[in-house]
Amino acid sequence: MTGVKGLSKRALAAMLAAALVIAGCGSGSGDDGPRTLKLWHYEGPDSAMGVAWAEAIKQFESTHPGVKVEFEEKGFEQIQKTAPMVLNSKDAPDVLEYNKGNATAGLLSRQGLLTDITDEVTKRGWDKQLSQNIQTTARYDERGVMGSGKWFGVPNYAEYVMAFYNKDMFAKQGIAVPTTIAELTAAMDKFVAAGITPLAVGGAEYPAHQIMYQLALSKADKGWVDRFQRYTGSVDFHDPAWTYGAETFADWVKKGYVSKDSAGVKAEDMGVSFMQGKHPIMITGTWWYGRLAAGIKDFQWGSFLWPGLTAGSAGNMWVVPQGSKNKDLAYDFIAITMSPQIQDKLRDAGGVPVADSGSPAASPQIKELTENFKTLSGGDRLAFYPDWPAPGYYDVQVSAVQKLITGTATPRQALDELAKPYQENLANVGK
Amino acid sequence: MKRHAVLWSLIVLAVVMLAPFVIVALNALKTPAQYASDGPLALPSDITFQGVIDFWDRVGFGQKLLNSFIISGSVAVLAVVVSVLNAYALGIGRIRGRSWILIAFLVANTLPQEAMVYPLYFLAKETGLYDTQLSVIIIFTIIQAAFGTYLLSSTYAGFPHELLEAARIDGANKWQTLVRIVVPISRPTLGVLFVFSFIWTWNEFFLPLVLLISNDTQTVPVALGVLQGQRLMDATMTSASALLGVIPAIAFFLIFQRTLTRGITAGAVK
Repeated sequence: MTGVKGLSKRALAAMLAAALVIAGCGSGSGDDGPRTLKLWHYEGPDSAMGVAWAEAIKQFESTHPGVKVEFEEKGFEQIQKTAPMVLNSKDAPDVLEYNKGNATAGLLSRQGLLTDITDEVTKRGWDKQLSQNIQTTARYDERGVMGSGKWFGVPNYAEYVMAFYNKDMFAKQGIAVPTTIAELTAAMDKFVAAGITPLAVGGAEYPAHQIMYQLALSKADKGWVDRFQRYTGSVDFHDPAWTYGAETFADWVKKGYVSKDSAGVKAEDMGVSFMQGKHPIMITGTWWYGRLAAGIKDFQWGSFLWPGLTAGSAGNMWVVPQGSKNKDLAYDFIAITMSPQIQDKLRDAGGVPVADSGSPAASPQIKELTENFKTLSGGDRLAFYPDWPAPGYYDVQVSAVQKLITGTATPRQALDELAKPYQENLANVGK
Repeated sequence: MKRHAVLWSLIVLAVVMLAPFVIVALNALKTPAQYASDGPLALPSDITFQGVIDFWDRVGFGQKLLNSFIISGSVAVLAVVVSVLNAYALGIGRIRGRSWILIAFLVANTLPQEAMVYPLYFLAKETGLYDTQLSVIIIFTIIQAAFGTYLLSSTYAGFPHELLEAARIDGANKWQTLVRIVVPISRPTLGVLFVFSFIWTWNEFFLPLVLLISNDTQTVPVALGVLQGQRLMDATMTSASALLGVIPAIAFFLIFQRTLTRGITAGAVK
């Protein structure tokens, strides 16, 4: 007999005692002694933000002798699920990266869990560094709706949706970089004629509904975006913009620009298929930049902007919990991340910096990325993301657009599906 | 002919079950560049353990293993002790209202953890146990002991009365009867309970995620969650982490193989 029979009573008792002793010591830390800045974020160490912020921590420690930075890398999921509870306890970090938007930062600000940093922002001039567009997601009113009111966070980077394209495949078909939707359509027709599905799309996740939103945006204006995202007026899901978006998307599927099989494709697989050179165009966000730069070896690639308004916004931001014990240190740290040096570091690692230093970029693709952002931000063309306005809206968007891909819903039915949760949510934001 | 049919269907089943592990292993040993160019199903051209090493360093995997072991080990031991004491009263002591008590335990066991998470968070915070492993140990001891009590009570209800009477005639009191007679005889069942409590606690994700917020108190499943970004995943490193994550479970299974297979006959008393 082996196994548990071999575990005698004495061994069990010893194990139990040992385990309890170790568990008991695991917690409890003194508040005396040198100060520490407890810092959390959820960016991987190789991502643009991870690289830049590691440098920021180093700078902070050298400019603040005697202060120790206690950095912990978290999972996105963990912060999403547990932030309200963590911030409401004495174990809250002093500064953390948090997701922007009404359902996340807005909600926490309304619950009084985040520090109002308006004074600090004006004192340190961050409001001057950040363009109007980018400020939207950092400010929340008393209902927790973004766009106006007090400052609750400081974004360090931006992101936007555009088209990555395979230069080699474009050259082979003799196609120039499209600048209008008509040109884009003509280019895709050429690829279809050559037997190539032009668009890499992941219908099981965010990419597909972002494309449909892009299409709708091409018939929309800034007032339309404000009504939809900030509840400044009534939204009609059967207006010309939405109708154009849904019908054109369905049309693109019919014409073979989008593969019917893409309804079940994950974003990850979409990216891999583009990196393998199976599709010449991938319409998605700047967050893919680093992966593409590291993963594409066999062909030349670049990016071009979507004409007109474009999905995009400030990235996630630094917030200071109300329970932070070292708010002054937290502000100092944020100031370092906003410095030209760290912003340049972020840019050269493939991120989109919010504050431009004007120094030369490390590669032509990076230059393209930051120049395009300046165009968007200067032209007030950022239109946020389609899944923002209502809680749980992401799944609704994915499912509605999936049905357009598989052809199980007409454009009108898909838009109806989008309209219902949106209108229901209006009551929750006091409209 | 019939025997072959069974054999073949078992082979097919085994292949289907093993396929995900094979894919995980393939990608764990691949470089990110090769994953990007050849896709997830290609065989690794040059085997690299870099993903595994990077992941180990990034999350401090050694610490997480120790944490998981402490929590699961403590829970398994405590749950068995509590279950034995409960079941002795319910199954052999036959106290009044025992079926209601058992039903209450079972109902408590079926409550989804999502429903309990807020109250548990609040209790942990009020008692100063938030972000300590002790809070998780206490909670899972109770959860596993609820099932353990149910299992052992039915075993003890069928415990041979002759043995208990013989012990009483020999002058054993209730405590001596428990320690000298009941526990030794039911040791196989207790072993099964120990192993199950250990494995179930080891695999718990949600409550440890909520209650253990510092990186140095976290368990293995929570550490695996670190790699899932908002929009991107690192496929090779995720595979490496999955590979590391299953190794302890496999090791544990091999060590307690006999006890686990005995789980099928759990409840029987010799």
